[in-house]
Amino acid sequence: MLRYEIGIVETRNVIKAILDIYGYDFRDYALTSFKRRLEDAITTYALKDADGLIFRLQNNKGFFDHLLKDINPETTEMFRDPSLWRSLREEIFPEIVRTTSKPKIWVGALDSGEELYSLCIVLKEIDLLDKFNIFSSYISEETVKKIKGGKIYPKQHEANDANYQRSNGAKRYSDYFPQGIGTVMSTINVDLIAGVTFVKQDSVFSNPPSGVKLTLFRNQIIFFNQILQDKVLNKIQDALIPGGYLVLGIKESLENTNANNNFTVTNDAEKIYKKKSG
Amino acid sequence: MYKAVIIGGSAGSFQVITRILNSLPANFPLPLLLCLHRLKHVRSGFVEALSIKSSIPVIEPYDKDQIKPGKAYLAPANYHMFIELGNRIALSTEGPVNHSRPSIDLSFITAAQVYREKLIGIILSGANKDGAYGLKKINDLGGVTIVQDPNECQVKTMTESSLQLTKVDHVYSTNEIIKYLQKIKN
Repeated sequence: MLRYEIGIVETRNVIKAILDIYGYDFRDYALTSFKRRLEDAITTYALKDADGLIFRLQNNKGFFDHLLKDINPETTEMFRDPSLWRSLREEIFPEIVRTTSKPKIWVGALDSGEELYSLCIVLKEIDLLDKFNIFSSYISEETVKKIKGGKIYPKQHEANDANYQRSNGAKRYSDYFPQGIGTVMSTINVDLIAGVTFVKQDSVFSNPPSGVKLTLFRNQIIFFNQILQDKVLNKIQDALIPGGYLVLGIKESLENTNANNNFTVTNDAEKIYKKKSG
Repeated sequence: MYKAVIIGGSAGSFQVITRILNSLPANFPLPLLLCLHRLKHVRSGFVEALSIKSSIPVIEPYDKDQIKPGKAYLAPANYHMFIELGNRIALSTEGPVNHSRPSIDLSFITAAQVYREKLIGIILSGANKDGAYGLKKINDLGGVTIVQDPNECQVKTMTESSLQLTKVDHVYSTNEIIKYLQKIKN
């Protein structure tokens, strides 16, 4: 896997150019993974080097949205960590509707729709989809178009299907594809997300929704350094109502952050946290 | 003088890695970074199995955990494990590389970039070529490269692809790898 590589100084130069031209701040993204994303972009768009990337950014405004899409971490799987989805399906969501009216769920992670569709399928199957207000964050216009289009690559089905079954899905995974699943791109039932409100975010989550009862924020803060982790967790904390839930990825822990004292652990294995009251 | 040992393996590497872990003292002076291919949906059991007879604590790190000597860090299922500046673990959910997440190449490349000539990289038995490029990066940046003797490997693909790509420092049997590591004093 020979690949084009750039150095740390070049990475910082690109970050500075993005900040200067577009106002998006990636200075506190985890350096190693961000550098890799830039290297991938340089290869994908056949640019010569980091300077070539900066030149393109300066001279082609439309290109920046493509880059935002590529900088988004791909989650690549629906129902990742099936045991989390079982816990949400069987315990957390039923408990929320018993205690909160019109609860708000915020899908904070900037993936390409996997979390959102998984969430809507689970809520539909337990007949609660219309009981929740769902907000979904996005950073790139191209990504939100993709999510609304519901296109799933054939290579993704196997993992999605296996995860869905392990999550105690009530139907068959293929039931969510009105035209079926084949060897070409298939389309998931986009009616599932008809009631979802999409909210544009910047790179540091300056503008989260408010009054949130549960936020799915899995495998997002791994792409930040510790300074930005603390800042974004602060934003999340403000967005949540007291007693609201924060779901992180199973290898993300509040213990390495300043937010630790403001949450209690509801489910340690699945990293479900609850915001303290008062 | 060295700062870390990184070990990659796949099919046929489990017994080798347990023998290595079981032979090193609790006060081993370096961190051990382990990137082993594993089933992505099986989250638990692997650390426990590696820990049974190991004097060195084996940990599946959380994102941004500080890397400390005398501990073994096992790349968690379904995440890539990067070594980040500041001597911390950084995890990633970017797509599989060489059909693998965790990918040995990614752990090795990022470790090479942080530790450079102060890194020892070891490739064990395995059934694909993941790790070969990473070992080359360690070599290019001045680190020590070791490959398990393919004649001893249950599956030779990984070690042979590594040997094709890089003129490595040592081709060692498991016993020789253990002796080499036991001699490290910082």
